Amino acid sequence: MATEFHNLQELRRSASLANKVFIQRDYSEGTACRFQTKFPSELESRIERTLFEDTVKTLNTFYAEAEKIGGQSYLEGCLACATAYLIFLCMETRYEKVLKKIAKYIQEQNEKIYAPRGLLITDPIERGMRVIEVSIYEDRGSSGSSSGSSSVSGSTAR
Amino acid sequence: MPASGADALKPSAFLPVCTATCLLVGATSLFFVFTCPWLAATICPAVPPCCAILFLFVLANFTMATFMDAGVLPVASEDEDKDDGFRAPLYKNVDIKGVQVRMKWCASCHFYRPPRCSHCSVCDHCVEDFDHHCPWVNNCIGRRNYRYFFLFLLSLTFHMVAVFTFGLIYVLHHMNDLWKLHFTVTVVVISISGLFLLPVLGLTGFHLYLVSRGRTTNEQVTGKFQGGVNPFTQGCCNNMEYLVCSPISPKYMARPCKKKIVHVQPPFLRPELDQQMPMKVGDNGLHTLALENKRPSAGAVELSDIKQMKNPPPLPPKPDRGLLKSHAAADDVGHHSKSVIPVSIPTVPQLRPVLEAISRGSSPIPPEQLLKASEQQANIKGPDLCSGFRESPVRGIHQGSVSVQPPLQPNTVYSSLPLNSRSLALKHSCRYGSKSQLPAMQSDGWRSSPPRGIFTSSTVLANQSSNDSPPFNNFINPTEPQLMSQRGAPSVNYHSHFMMLGSDGSVQCPPPHSYSPVFMGVTRQSPQPRDSSPSLKGLTSRDPSPSLQGYMQREPSPGFQGLITRDLKSQSIASRDVPPPGVAMRDMSTQSLRDSLRDMVSQDTTLPKSAAARYDNFSKTIMASINERRELEERERMLHLQARSQAHYCADVGIYDIPSKRSLAPDNAGPPGSRGPTPPAYGSREFLMSTGILTYGMRTSPLSNSSTLSLTHGSKTSSSPLQNCSSSSLQNKGKSSSPAYCSSERQTQAVPSSTSTLPRLTSTNSSAPPYTSYATAKRSSLPFPSEGKESVTLGALK
Repeated sequence: MATEFHNLQELRRSASLANKVFIQRDYSEGTACRFQTKFPSELESRIERTLFEDTVKTLNTFYAEAEKIGGQSYLEGCLACATAYLIFLCMETRYEKVLKKIAKYIQEQNEKIYAPRGLLITDPIERGMRVIEVSIYEDRGSSGSSSGSSSVSGSTAR
Repeated sequence: MPASGADALKPSAFLPVCTATCLLVGATSLFFVFTCPWLAATICPAVPPCCAILFLFVLANFTMATFMDAGVLPVASEDEDKDDGFRAPLYKNVDIKGVQVRMKWCASCHFYRPPRCSHCSVCDHCVEDFDHHCPWVNNCIGRRNYRYFFLFLLSLTFHMVAVFTFGLIYVLHHMNDLWKLHFTVTVVVISISGLFLLPVLGLTGFHLYLVSRGRTTNEQVTGKFQGGVNPFTQGCCNNMEYLVCSPISPKYMARPCKKKIVHVQPPFLRPELDQQMPMKVGDNGLHTLALENKRPSAGAVELSDIKQMKNPPPLPPKPDRGLLKSHAAADDVGHHSKSVIPVSIPTVPQLRPVLEAISRGSSPIPPEQLLKASEQQANIKGPDLCSGFRESPVRGIHQGSVSVQPPLQPNTVYSSLPLNSRSLALKHSCRYGSKSQLPAMQSDGWRSSPPRGIFTSSTVLANQSSNDSPPFNNFINPTEPQLMSQRGAPSVNYHSHFMMLGSDGSVQCPPPHSYSPVFMGVTRQSPQPRDSSPSLKGLTSRDPSPSLQGYMQREPSPGFQGLITRDLKSQSIASRDVPPPGVAMRDMSTQSLRDSLRDMVSQDTTLPKSAAARYDNFSKTIMASINERRELEERERMLHLQARSQAHYCADVGIYDIPSKRSLAPDNAGPPGSRGPTPPAYGSREFLMSTGILTYGMRTSPLSNSSTLSLTHGSKTSSSPLQNCSSSSLQNKGKSSSPAYCSSERQTQAVPSSTSTLPRLTSTNSSAPPYTSYATAKRSSLPFPSEGKESVTLGALK
């Protein structure tokens, strides 16, 4: 996340990071990548439960798709073996492709749903796939029209 | 080598890998140069290519195992582990397919290691699905590169076997050329391969076994699942499939950063919440829950419901925290009238039979009978008056017009109830207004103005001049000097009477009538019969100083003066908001009452005698008007009191101070001599109110807890905002965040202050429940709410 300073032309409200909520992994079905869909209490007043749970469930679906052992992954393995893994220099793995989809999805969710509610979701890959970090921002109130104020921005993909 | 740990970069760490590399590459190269041509010529030309492919495979896997990130987990940011510091438990259990697996806290990486994750001491990082740290490749073997390591082992085994076999064939065929170069080299090659074949074969077999069992080397060596069930295994075949065919896990460290900026800018959307109670500011300035603004008729209905209960009715729902805060904010200095309205409000109506008995001039009714009689009377007047009365202390400070407009109650008996509630209010306000209950009264008791609102409303009812309000105001809130100056002498009456009662020995004569059952119990003497009706209207013909004059062996009006007397007595004794049930003792002899009162108030010697002197100077007419005014306002207060009693307990006041067990505690602790004759009366009053109050007080602990919690979460003054991590993280980490501790510290600090001084309600922690204003009198009860708050706060935040 980067904090940028802007020169305000008019009265503008800014947000500041107030808290972070961490959605932990759900290990009930093994070490496959799954996140808990339990709605954290800190977000009760910030976002609808259904929206949040939909986001987490979609992410879980993405990760399940990425880790699925099937034809594509087998083919990829064989190809890699055959080329002495030189294929990895040219082509990105299936998992990486899904990760890109996930990043795009998170970016879209942030823009459409979470940022208007003062929240930001951080891609779990940045945290080692251990947690989904939800940043909660608070309205700091109006800032002066003259000097700079900080607006919080978040990066959703790396 | 991707490892960045110090050990991995040491020169000695590279020795094994260099050795292994040299051996592998060198021996194989020699084999290909010296042995393979003959093999190709003699056995098969396909032998060298196959060996070459195999060797290529070995090298590729070796390279991948050596240079590939094993699945290093990045160190957690400080935001994530803010609440986990050294207070986090070392292990956290998680249930995986029905098997409890322990997740250990990694002190280096600041997170709980996921299952199968372990911290490599050589590389100094946590690795996902950690297998082991292989010195031959100088790299951790983990989730991402275990496949390559295994395949390396497998391919190396095959390669070594092949090299050894073909070299042996060559050697056996060239036994005649022992000293030729090719022979020598081949012999060396097969020696090396033969030498390292056994360890490599053993390692390969070991890992084959691990894969079949679904374990890692780390788990095998530490014996994690020796006797138990391994939740990570999926069966031999599936494990093999997972080993070979699973997608390669992504790298966590040093990922390409594609920063896409998302601007977060207020205003923020908020979800619709139902539980937010709108705070409504009433006309009287009281902040009340919007939902509790029922019509006075509803309040009447509630009161009737309450009255039908023998025992104190169930406690009201917890008031909104915001309500508490608003009340705390609205509490002016010395006006802790926003105390919880105990549920035993109906006690005032319950006392109606007593009042009736008094008006009839009968002997004092035992308190128990009074209870029953009052309960039988379903009447909203009492509650209305109570509610109106309750408002008075609040309004007194603000000096606004009270919107209380309770219906007039022509009940003469009921008219005495206002006296009761007024006395209660006086007691309450006096107590809150000053640290020493009576001394405050005596000094500035005249200057209070809480009942102003009631008076203003009663003006509508009683058509009394505004001058009448001051006395009552002063009666309620004795700590406003400026009001006193505006008032007049009449206002002194009640206070002087009060003070007179409070001071030891200053009571000249107890009011001959209109005494509460307490007084009746005290003296055990029937009050002097009164000619006048027990209603306050009878006061008009009385002496100017009703209550005090009662003590002066005059003839104050029964109801009110008795109430005052009782109020003073209980005030002095308990310094609590004991509301004498409003039963006027009529038959008590003045002298005996005075003596008993003196005994009771012996501990309070703060009442000055000058007040009595002032009291004596008031004219009869003034006192009469005061009494009338008081009566009407009492009615109003009772009406409003009941109207609000259901949902607004933590609000106002206190005028309707019903003695709770806590408030009565000091009574018990008082000098035994003074309590000699009174125990039964006190007991009855206690029975009337204490249970309700006590239950309420206990119940408000969670309220205070919730308010504390709200303050804790909201304030975050003592810790960084990021310390309040998600509830999931808090629960997982099983530890209360520091805000919890800070809040408990605040509460701890607040406790002594509230214990020491009553009027410090505003200065104490605003989360403290209003009933802590009873602190002085209820010292014993204070530790409980405070501790309860702390424990609940900590527990809730954990």
